[in-house]
This record gives sequence, C-alpha cells and structure tokens, in this order.
Amino acid sequence: MALLKYFPSPRDRVLPVRRPNGGAWRGLLAVLAALLTFAPPTLRAQGASKEYQVKAAFIFNLIQFVVWPPAQFASDEAPFVIGVLGEDPFAGALDAVIQGEKIRGHPLRITRSNRVADLMNSHVVFVSQSERAQMATIIAAFAGRPVLTVADLPDFAARGGVLNFYAEGARIRFEVNRATAQHAGLKLGSQLLGLARLVGPELKTEAR
Amino acid sequence: MNVPAFFRIFPASRAHLGAYRIAVLLAGCIAPSIFAQSAPRPAGPGPTPAPYKSLSLAQLMDVEVTSVSRRTEMLTEAASAIQVATGDDIRRSGAMRLPEALRLVSNLQVAQIDSRQWAVASRGFNNTTTNKLLVQLDGRTLYTPLFAGVFWDVQDTLLVDLDRIEVISGPGATQWGSNAVNGVINITTQSARDTQGGFLKAVAGNEMRSASARYGASFGSGAFFRVYGKHTAAEDSITPAGLDGEDAWRMTQGGFRGDWERETADRFTLQGDVYRGRVRQPINADIEMKGGNLLGRWTRTFAPQDSLVVQSYYDYTQRLIPGSFAEDLEIYDLDLQRNFPVGTNHRLVFGGNYRFMRDDAELGPTFSFLPGRVTREWYSAFVQDEVKLLRDRLRLTAGLKVEHNPYTGTEYQPSVRAAWKLDERRLAWAAISRAMRSPSRIDREFYAPSTPPFAIAGGPNFKSEELLAYEIGYRAEVRPGFSFSLSTFLHDYDDLRSLEPSKVAGGPSLIANGITGLSYGAELSVDYRATERWRLRFGYTGQRVSSKTKPGSLDAASVRSQVLDPKHYASLHSQFDLSARTALDVSVRQVGRIANQAVPAYVEADVRLSWRPADAVELAITGKNLFDRSHPEFRDAAIRREIERSFNGSVTWRF
Repeated sequence: MALLKYFPSPRDRVLPVRRPNGGAWRGLLAVLAALLTFAPPTLRAQGASKEYQVKAAFIFNLIQFVVWPPAQFASDEAPFVIGVLGEDPFAGALDAVIQGEKIRGHPLRITRSNRVADLMNSHVVFVSQSERAQMATIIAAFAGRPVLTVADLPDFAARGGVLNFYAEGARIRFEVNRATAQHAGLKLGSQLLGLARLVGPELKTEAR
Repeated sequence: MNVPAFFRIFPASRAHLGAYRIAVLLAGCIAPSIFAQSAPRPAGPGPTPAPYKSLSLAQLMDVEVTSVSRRTEMLTEAASAIQVATGDDIRRSGAMRLPEALRLVSNLQVAQIDSRQWAVASRGFNNTTTNKLLVQLDGRTLYTPLFAGVFWDVQDTLLVDLDRIEVISGPGATQWGSNAVNGVINITTQSARDTQGGFLKAVAGNEMRSASARYGASFGSGAFFRVYGKHTAAEDSITPAGLDGEDAWRMTQGGFRGDWERETADRFTLQGDVYRGRVRQPINADIEMKGGNLLGRWTRTFAPQDSLVVQSYYDYTQRLIPGSFAEDLEIYDLDLQRNFPVGTNHRLVFGGNYRFMRDDAELGPTFSFLPGRVTREWYSAFVQDEVKLLRDRLRLTAGLKVEHNPYTGTEYQPSVRAAWKLDERRLAWAAISRAMRSPSRIDREFYAPSTPPFAIAGGPNFKSEELLAYEIGYRAEVRPGFSFSLSTFLHDYDDLRSLEPSKVAGGPSLIANGITGLSYGAELSVDYRATERWRLRFGYTGQRVSSKTKPGSLDAASVRSQVLDPKHYASLHSQFDLSARTALDVSVRQVGRIANQAVPAYVEADVRLSWRPADAVELAITGKNLFDRSHPEFRDAAIRREIERSFNGSVTWRF
C-alpha cells in the first residue's frame, strides 16, 4: 500500500492527463489482432537460436547421405519421420527446413514426443538435451533398430548413439559411431563420414 | 504519385495527429499482404525461411553459432525483458546512425534532441544525459564516467557490419557491468570472418550525406581482418520558430577488426577505431571531438558452455566545446569471465573487472569539474549460478555483484530470477534485483561558476542511487512464425539525485540524494511472419514514472525535471519483400506527450524501398519522419530543436 502514495488520485493530479490517440491505438490493436487471427499460418525459423537453426540445416543435410533399409518405409509415398524426443530446442527451425521437402520421394514429417515408444518408427530421432539424464536408456531402446539417433550430448555417440553434434570453438562439428550405424542397418555415405569425427569401436570390415 | 500531393494528405497540423494517419499507414501495411497473396512466389533462390538450409555440410561446419560476449541463450528461454534487432533488421531499416538503429528495439525510448544529440532510455528517467543505462559496443563500455550517460554523437561504426543489438530493459547489474540500472544495450559487430570482401556505399539526401567503405580478407589459417572508413555530414536541425538550429555536423571514422581462430578452440579478436568530428554551435566556435580505442579479446572454449573470456581495452576521447567545456579522457579496462557447468544441473558464471580512468576537465567559463584532473579506479567481481529443477522446467538464477567505486566504496547488487517453462514454446519468468548507480564525476565534482563564490559546490555527500526492481514476464511462441513477449515491472528508486539549496543565506547549493522515485509499466512486443515474405514487428510500452522529494529535501524542481517520459510509446515495423530483389520497409512510431517538457505526442513514419538490379548492387530510396515538415521529440520549448522530414537515396556495391 505504501507504494500508492506516489500516485495521487486523479483529482489531485498536477499534470493534465491526456490520452492522445487512445481510440486510434485501440483500433490499431484490434486490426492487428484481426490480422494475426486470419493470416495463414506459415512456418518460419522464428525464435530459434542460430545454433539450432544451423543444427536443423545439418540434420536435413545429413539425411541425404544416409540410406535406410527399404523395409523401414511402408510404401514409396510413406512419410519420412523425424522424431524430436523431449523438449524441442529448434523452435520451428526444423519445420522451416523440411517444409515442402522430400527425401527420395518420401515427404518429411516431424513427430514430437516425450516418450521413446512414440518414436520407435521414426527414421531420425533427435534426442533433446532435456533427456540427458535418460541418455543410456534411450540409446538402449533404439539399439539395433534402423533409426538414426542424433543428439548434442557429450558422449552420446561414444556410448552408442549414431550421431552427435559437438562444438569446436564457435562452430558445430559432428561425430559418428559407425558400429552403431552398421548394427542399425544404416548406410552412411562417404561425404558424411569424411567430415565426421569417428568414435566408438573400430569396424572390422573397412566399408569405405 | 507526386510527393507534395502525398503530403497534402497529411497536413502538418497537430490537432489531427492520430487516428486517420494510423489508419492510412496501416492500410499501407496491409496493402502488401493483399499483394503478397496475389503475387506469385519468387522462383529459385530468394529470401528463404531457413537461412542455412542451402549450405553444404562443409559450409555448415563453418558457420559460427556462439556470440562472444556473455553466455548465449535462446531468446525464448531468456528470463528477462530482452529484445533483439538483428543485423538484417538494421540493414533493412536504412538507419544511418546507431541511435536510429536503436529505434528497432521496442523497449527503448529513443528521442532525437537535435541534429546530433539523442535521449535514449528504457523504463523512464530519460534525459539529455540519461544516466541509468549500460551501453556497450563489442564489449567496450560507451557511457562516460563524466556523467554516466552516453555522448551519442560520437558513437558509430559501420552499421552494415553489425551483428545484432540486444536490449535488456530492467536491471542487468549482476552479470553485466555497472550502471545497468534501467537497462543494458549490447551492440555487437560481426566477426571479420563474416564480413569478407568489399563494400562501398554512398548516401545523399536533404538532411544527411555519407560515404562508407569496407574491405575484408583472410590472412589464411583461420585469421581474418577487415578495415573500414566512413564519413558523414548532417545539416542543421530547425528551431520551433523555423530558424536554423545551428548544429550541423560532420564525422569521419575509420577502424579495423581482426579475428583469429585456432583449432584448439581459442579465438582472438583485436579491433580499434579512430574518429574526428566537428559540430556547429550558436555564438561560439565549432565543437570539436576526436577519439580512438583499441580492444583485444581472447576466448577459450573448453567444451560447449564451458569457456573463459579475457578482454582488455583502451579508450581515448577528447571533446572541446568552446564557450563551455573541454575534456580529455582515457580509460583502461580489463575484464575476465569464466563460464562452466557444474554437475548436470548447475551452470556457473563468474568474473571480474578492473577499470582505470584519467580525466582532464578544463575550467570552463560557467561551470567546472573540480578537481579538474583526476585518476580513478573501479573494480568488481560477480558470481552467478543457474540451477535447473523439475526436469529442466524450472530454472533459478541467483547472482551477486560486488563493486568498488572511488566515491562510495563497496556496493552490493544481488538478483534472483526464476523461469518456468510451461512447455517448449511458453515461458513465464519473474525477477527481483537490486541495482546501484554509483556516482559519476558530475554527481560529486560539479561546480558552477568555476571560481568561488559557487552557486553549486559539488556533491560531497552524494551516494549511489538505488533501485529495487520487481519484474514478471511471459513469452510465447503461439505458433511457428508468431511470438510475443510481455514484461511488466515495478521499479522502486531511492536516493535519486537532487540539488539542495543552502540552508544558510548566500551559500552554495549541493548535489544530494533527496528524491525517491517509482515507476511501473508493461512492455509488449510481437513478432509476426505473416507470409514468407512479409514480417511485422510491433512494440508497445505503457509506463508511469514519478518521483517525489524525501522529507528534509528542499529541491522542488528536480522532481519535475527528472521525469521526462511519455506515458506510452509504440512502434510497428513492416518488412516486406516485394520480390527476390525488391524490398519495402515501413516503420511507424507513436510517442506520447512528455508532460514536463510540453513536448506534444507525435506519430512519424519511415519508408524505405530498395532494389537490387544485380546481386552485388543495391539502390534504395528512404524517407524519414514523413508525417511532419518538422516535429520536436525532446526538451523545453525555449531551447528545443525540431527534426525535419528527410529523404535520401543510396547506392551500395559489394565485391
């Protein structure tokens, strides 16, 4: 209540109180609100940090160099599903990147979930940093399945994830566990492997 | 359409300010949307919604994603009233000076005082010498220890090379430097790596002309540099009576930046600027100013979110104002910051700062800073911990800054923040902070006239101004492409500056802390991408700022002269790509009346149309302050200048 003493009642005001254009601004807000309501929804990389805009572009780019077993698609037109497990850090950037895109004829879709079970049939699963505590469980759940698991968690690939982003200075790098990929039945292109840091167990047969 | 006919629609009479102008401008903003829906989408490369999508893997690995200063945060996760203008926003706006670019950030109130001076504030207490903001350009503090405000007329850089302007309204005192009482303005330029190649630009118009050039290249092995030069000349403003404002100016500035990155995650930056300028003034000879700075920064990144930053700079400024004042100021600054995770849930930031100043203020004819020559030191340390709770849903941040200043000794500035993530797209936050504005030279050492008997004899007992701030905010991405942020605040000030008349007859007045203040308000910003080619940004601030004398204070005048803030201000920026090569940008701003200066409310608009006939060339025409032949934005009528409508054309060539 003590705070109110600073603000005299309207009758005591020393200065004239005027609200120029009050009506106009209400009108403007109303029109703006109307615009916002009726405008078509579009997907934009809005609000995403530059880091995740770049990571979204990475994911879109990387999947061009990965081949999934044909059995992973129900039909030639079946969607290619990118799952986001946990809190989505992309803030629309991933949607913006895949909008209208196809991978070998398969339209791209995004599925978001907090439960691993919902994403078992995805082609790519991005594991959010929010799932850090459950990392081992998640890796185990996808082991052997043809899912490209991607994360930006320390040791994710070394512990059995397929691909992991890490920072080198201010730039993004990625590391790949070839053993996990091979076990999952995923074929990784040489363009991808050539840029990746390889982690995990050595492969017996040299695929490249 | 011929131009005079266009302006007959907007007669200069203030009585009609408001509704219909907004309606007209709004129509101007809506028109593109109709056009947007009927026009075919541009084929091939154009403005793409995902800027990095077209890059190859190797190119993506070359993109820098972390900013050098402080910890980078996702905007949607920031637990403070932060607003950002990107480099692209600034380039599109046609801003020719830094303060103009600040208008793109909706939580700032930016008033142009005359041809060269600006009054910039957030959350009130704006003034020609606003003293409650921390302003930094690439980590270098811009406010002067003379009065804790910014000489905006000499703060410049090549605007095309700006990376972003971040503005936090409200206290940022814990993690940022001192003086961050009502807000922090953090301006950063791009790395030299991102500004390679040549750039030439010429702008000519009825109020301002400028020519600028930049060249960036690589030394190889991860080392890059750029050099730039810029010359700007501005015409006089105008007095309310229509006479010459006698404040035409010109500025010449040059500088460089080098960035070197080693594979071991070390980054080195070395940058510097020199400038020289001259301003016309009534009666006396021209004001002359010059200065230069050199800054070095080393960043080592041990792991993501685990880094060390060491920064040091030297800054020299000289200002000669014939007839009133002359100053030579040198500042040395050393800053250290360490940032690392502790366990899985804690993130710790701590740092320290040392600052040394040597200031030489000459005795002026009407006032002086006594003693004229001083050296001063400041040192400070801060620590801040962020803890994630409830599966990252709740983030608590607590911090403390301890600062030692040469006038009042040690000051403590703690803050506590909580951010509650409702889901991936909605965040609510609250904060309580204490911030101090420690004395600057003007608070302690200002004497008038220059020799006894004094009418004003400094402020021997002036202590720091204190703020307790309470904030609650909410930000949400309603759907991709449509987000908004709402911040509310209550600021409770104590010990604001007053001028106390002498208790004995004929004695001098003393500067003291006889005023308390209170402000509250709300800041709304909306970012809306209506279509792939049309983006709208809307901002509104409503605030009430008041102050009153404390018991025992006899200063009745400062209570009014300190509160020079409109009760509301709003802006609408429309960025519309007419085609892949043509863009139309419209900004409308509305500023309420400043009661204590009787500055009337106004609505003004800037419009810029740009066209790229070839990839490397851009032509643009810009109109500024289009709604009035001239209008005032700040100051009492007796010494007021008005800002005139202006037009310019520009040519840009990149190679």
